[in-house]
Amino acid sequence: MSRRFDAVVVGAGPAGSTAAYTLAKKGFKVLLLERGRVAGSKNVFGGRVYSKPLEEIYPNLLKDAPIQRWVVKERFSLAAGDTMLSLDYESGESKSFICHLSELAAWMAKQAEEAGSFLVTEIVVDGFVLKDGFVKGVKIGGEVVESDVVIDCEGVNRLLLERAGFVKGLKADQVALGVKETLRIPSTEIESRFGLGEKEGLSWILLGDFTNGLPGGAFLYTNTAAVSLGLVLMLKSAHSLKEHISNLLENLRLHPLLSKYLKESSIVEYSSHLIPEAGSAMLKRPYSDGLLVAGDAAGYLLNLGYTYRGVDFAAYSGYLAAQAYEKAHAEGDFSKMGLAWYEHLLKQSFVLKQMLKFRKFSKLLDDESLFSKYPKMFCDVAKALFAFDYEVPTLMEALKRSKKDVGLLKLLLDGFRVVRSI
Amino acid sequence: MKRMRLEDILINNVWDVDYEPHIVVDSEKCVGCDTKPCINLCPAGCFTLLGERIVFSYEGCLECGTCRVICSRGAVSWNYPVSGKGIHYRFG
Repeated sequence: MSRRFDAVVVGAGPAGSTAAYTLAKKGFKVLLLERGRVAGSKNVFGGRVYSKPLEEIYPNLLKDAPIQRWVVKERFSLAAGDTMLSLDYESGESKSFICHLSELAAWMAKQAEEAGSFLVTEIVVDGFVLKDGFVKGVKIGGEVVESDVVIDCEGVNRLLLERAGFVKGLKADQVALGVKETLRIPSTEIESRFGLGEKEGLSWILLGDFTNGLPGGAFLYTNTAAVSLGLVLMLKSAHSLKEHISNLLENLRLHPLLSKYLKESSIVEYSSHLIPEAGSAMLKRPYSDGLLVAGDAAGYLLNLGYTYRGVDFAAYSGYLAAQAYEKAHAEGDFSKMGLAWYEHLLKQSFVLKQMLKFRKFSKLLDDESLFSKYPKMFCDVAKALFAFDYEVPTLMEALKRSKKDVGLLKLLLDGFRVVRSI
Repeated sequence: MKRMRLEDILINNVWDVDYEPHIVVDSEKCVGCDTKPCINLCPAGCFTLLGERIVFSYEGCLECGTCRVICSRGAVSWNYPVSGKGIHYRFG
């Protein structure tokens, strides 16, 4: 193997493999480095991927990718004690699919390899080769691999960017912690319990006392013959957690309103991952001299409270990084001037457009009352309206009874803030 | 369904444990930390209390990075395991 490449891509997750795939298809010589035993073995996510951006990149996605179920049912629930208020959206048309990320990332890396990139696994990159602030390659052990550009897709723990001084250490207010149990359930049981057809899936987001009132939420996705059940906690406020986080996940699995869906299941994997939550503030500029940054490392992920978008953002940013490389190569300029086109492409695409549009939302997710008080309030109103013996209250009476903790003005202001930010 | 202990949940995972720890905790720096958020927030329970002291074991690490972010005392030197070692997610 020669020691010089057009581009070295660090990390064979969705961003890295997509960057390598796109570059290799254009005929560039690409080295794709992965620290896991195989591509995908270090990747974790919630469970669902929005399809269209990936279809644009991978023409064979729908035919060949390890897609498990298509989301035809979206459920958003507020939970308090043994009550739950849910909103269901069902449609024959699906825009997103459920999969195991380890499988999808392995598939993407295989596409990158088949397109001609060199994939090397079990490699931890120690640092960038820096000459006068210009990234000229990577250091692995005592060895050096040189390249025009390094595309850094190292993920949310940005050891390389930190060591090179491009970013400061991650702060608790920039990330959320996700923990997940993958539960084996026969596919016919999944279909009958959740009311799904073959290949049909459910995405279920829950807010409420699962997180002990701390900002965060819970999720459930139906795979083919497994359920992905997890919790997300904003790390900033998670300090005040009074019990081990795995207890919260077990509480969720054993919750009286959830356990009926999960009976006779067995845990086949327990995983955890940090989720970038600070949007484009995670990284001021996703490029430098000889360097492009994509995926979680750049903070490209969108959390809207009722849905997460990470994989499509990561893959698409890798795709755009490859396009920016192509332009820089044509112009023979790999300095930050030459690579600035990357940011232009990001701003023209849904990636940065969406992140800028919803940037207020992440602030909203810091508000503890949104998580501790409102789910209970809404559940109390629903209980008053639906569960009565003789006399049913009016909606106003039910609201008045339940809003004690909040106050009508705060309720109106918060409602306004929510509507304005989503 | 029964509540499961963390060790019984973790046992379903696949690891290739390295001989050398990829994370080193300087527990001297934990003395005087009154919150010790690592104990409840490390999803794998790698941080435990033995008397007043923090004991860290790297073997069950899920490589999420939570400890390096929440430790305010700089006690955690964090790196990735080398040569494909560490957690091997089959589902992710």
